[in-house]
Amino acid sequence: MIGLSIIFFSAIIILFTGIQKPEKKSKNLTVFSLLVAALFSLFENLEVINTQTLFAWVPSSMLDFNNFRLSMVALVLFLSAIIIGLMPSSEKKGSDLLGLTLFALCGGIIMLGSNHLVMLFLGIEILSIPLYVLAGSDKKNLFANEAAIKYFLMGAFSTAIFLLGCAFIYGGTGTLIFGEMQLKVGFAAHFGEFPILIKLGVILMSVGMLFKISAVPFHFWSPDVYEGSPNRVTSFMAIIVKICGFVAFAQLMSNFEPMHSWYIKWLIPISGITILLGNIAGMVQKSVKRTLAYSSIAHAGYLILFLLIPYAENAQILFVYSLSYGLSTSVMFYLIDKYSTADNFDFTIFKGIFNSNKLDAMALILAVLSLAGIPATIGFTAKYVLFSKAFEYNQWAVVIGLVGSAISIVYYFKPFKYAFVNENLLTNRESSLFTNILLVLAMLSIVVFGLIPGIIL
Amino acid sequence: MEIILCPLVIALLKALLGNKINKWIMSVLSIATLGLVIKVYFEKVAALNSGIWQTLFDKPWFSDSIRFTLGFDGVTYLLLLLTSILTPIVISSVSDNRHKFIIPLILVMQSALNGVFMAKDGLMFYILWELALIPIYFITLLYSHKDAYITTIRFFIFTFLGSLAMLASLIYLYLKTGSTSFSYEALINVQLSLKEAILVGGGFLLAFAVKIPLVPFHIWQADTYTNAPAQGSMMLSGVMLKMALYGLIRWYMPLCGESISYFQPAIMVMAVFGVVYGAIIALKQNDMKRLIAYSSLSHVGLITAGLFSLTLSGFEGGMLQMFTHGINVVGLFFVIEIIEYHYKSRDLSQLGGLAKHHKLFTILYFVVVLGSLAAPLTNGFPGELMLLKSIFDYNSLTGIVAGLTIILCAVYMLRMFQLSMLGESEIVMNKIDTVKLMPLFIISAIVVYIGLNPQSLIDVIHPSIQHIMEDIANSKGVLS
Repeated sequence: MIGLSIIFFSAIIILFTGIQKPEKKSKNLTVFSLLVAALFSLFENLEVINTQTLFAWVPSSMLDFNNFRLSMVALVLFLSAIIIGLMPSSEKKGSDLLGLTLFALCGGIIMLGSNHLVMLFLGIEILSIPLYVLAGSDKKNLFANEAAIKYFLMGAFSTAIFLLGCAFIYGGTGTLIFGEMQLKVGFAAHFGEFPILIKLGVILMSVGMLFKISAVPFHFWSPDVYEGSPNRVTSFMAIIVKICGFVAFAQLMSNFEPMHSWYIKWLIPISGITILLGNIAGMVQKSVKRTLAYSSIAHAGYLILFLLIPYAENAQILFVYSLSYGLSTSVMFYLIDKYSTADNFDFTIFKGIFNSNKLDAMALILAVLSLAGIPATIGFTAKYVLFSKAFEYNQWAVVIGLVGSAISIVYYFKPFKYAFVNENLLTNRESSLFTNILLVLAMLSIVVFGLIPGIIL
Repeated sequence: MEIILCPLVIALLKALLGNKINKWIMSVLSIATLGLVIKVYFEKVAALNSGIWQTLFDKPWFSDSIRFTLGFDGVTYLLLLLTSILTPIVISSVSDNRHKFIIPLILVMQSALNGVFMAKDGLMFYILWELALIPIYFITLLYSHKDAYITTIRFFIFTFLGSLAMLASLIYLYLKTGSTSFSYEALINVQLSLKEAILVGGGFLLAFAVKIPLVPFHIWQADTYTNAPAQGSMMLSGVMLKMALYGLIRWYMPLCGESISYFQPAIMVMAVFGVVYGAIIALKQNDMKRLIAYSSLSHVGLITAGLFSLTLSGFEGGMLQMFTHGINVVGLFFVIEIIEYHYKSRDLSQLGGLAKHHKLFTILYFVVVLGSLAAPLTNGFPGELMLLKSIFDYNSLTGIVAGLTIILCAVYMLRMFQLSMLGESEIVMNKIDTVKLMPLFIISAIVVYIGLNPQSLIDVIHPSIQHIMEDIANSKGVLS
């Protein structure tokens, strides 16, 4: 809760004080406030500080930050700090873009903490509306405009479906509060048959959420949007939106746990198709950004496997998986942003990276290995905990996941084709010391949590 | 623990100091690991006679159920010995212009391999198994010819897919223990139904069959060996293949013993077919590296067949042959590296008459060739004899077919020697530095020593092999 307030106020400050200033000047303040907020959330999680009296006026039936949610909030704030800190900020654009990013983050945090369908809906909207603007923030770029429009239409469409689902749920259970909903569904379970209204509601809400996390068959917007949007926004969408969206989805579905055996019947095929299609389509892409878009689709498929596992056992592994995915993807996007040019997103941008910049080359190797789930990186830790847990509930879904991981090697390792060529880089940009420190921090987390996973498990 | 850390420390040293230390110093430094292995052996020598897998080191890793546990017994010792003898030799063969990254990578790989041979915890075994793959991937990628990307990625995906199947099997067994432990003892006690054992064992076998490689899964091998730098081929064929053979004895057979009799005929056919197939293809090769790749396919096929005969002589011969094949194949690749470095070619149709240039090199080369074709009094002979006996015991037909290897192997090995060394010299030669032959001299010494005294190795492994065979028998017995 305190994290949310810090981010909200710093967003207002950055938006109004920085509207004339270029982004560069507000970047450090933004990263600083994100880190402070992450730290405070962590303290709150560890019960070093107690803010319950301070926020006693917020009804817990609306927003409730329990331990797991607080650790997720801290994680999301930390990842945003890494994303914004790593990405260079432009001299020309105003700081309002950073302010908007923070507002979107507020929406994400509200989604994580929501205990009420309306709150969840508000969270989704607060997250999405700034992102529609941000996606088109490159006003002169035609693709960015296309991306923004596409994202807006798809987003609006999916929230409408989500709302319809909420209405059905309200019709079926007579309540919008998570706790009460769970009780009603539990009652229904006793009578054997679930009301059709509840079933319809669950399906429609799932469709809305699957749109947000871009699972097949609701994924088709994401490659175009990811490719067209500015790099920072893309990485924000790929990481923060996906994590917040999925955690909110898992929390929502946990209320319908008595129907578990019913809804996994159609969620497992969706997960399998998402993993396979994401990975297979990723193989044939030429642009790095598009490849990562498909990689993130595949990861949405892995995420859905979490729904196989009862919610009570989910918390720890969901945290580890989000951390792993967020760290490796943000490092990848940083490298793409650093070495790509406006018209070149091929894998050739990495040509000669090993020759010219050892630190970035190491970062590339680690990020790729981690995304592919090779041992000794956090990616393996995450995939191992997910697969070993899900294996108890459905073996074949996990086998598909494993096959998908093997296929994904084909495109994750593509940068290596060019990275070790004995040439100099096409575009060579210098990074600031601050960026490099953040990068080293991210790399260390990838390795340390991979070698000594005991710390986070 | 120090056996795993020592190569890493040396690798770090090299990575930090860069060009300041040359390969000879590195090679000498890496002998330290050999010293450590022998030291541990002499500390544990009394306990080894019981054949039980001793625990050297045990600490929780992921959690209490996934531990970092190192074991030590005769089988482990033999393979650690092989790895730590070969690593200095491989390092000493690195040519001067490319040693900056390849030496640390070799050492990291050695560390992971040592871990694989000592791992006493299922997940740890998997992790180190996979970690050994990363350095070799980068060795082949960084130092191979231009268009080798496809070859390396194919190699990587093949082996990765196999290992993932093994991971699934391990997780299944883990859940069967009641999600309490990945330790070897816990996994070995799991009782499986036949159907389960076939699925789980199939996962293990897929991982091992790709890496050994058995015949339908061998398609990555020849290209990878040919394209990889000599050091990569040495590490791959000398040590990495042994990882899979070791996995068969140590992990697959005791863990899924119920499924052995189901898979046995198929594996036997595949392995014996591989023996003949590899040998026949090797007959026609002109590229020396490709020739060795196919001969390697033939040799490991024989070892696999021997292991799957499930007899004592099969196991002991197999272990012995794993050791000697590692030594011999590294010796052969070393010879090829020298020839290629000095004569800029390894094509048999262009070579010839090298014997006139350097007598000592010719002698050493011939000793290694004799070892490979299993001439009596060299190290190849006792192992091959024991293997053929065990295969013959299993089924006389497979025994006869596998026995063809004696003739075929002699034909292609001698053909290689003849075409490269004898005849008239046409090539402009560079003088071979005698110091460079030091490692080859050591290899030939080992070839002759084991040829004269194979019992010294068999004594080391005998108690452990018997213990493992008991485990396998227990595991098989569950069904009947």
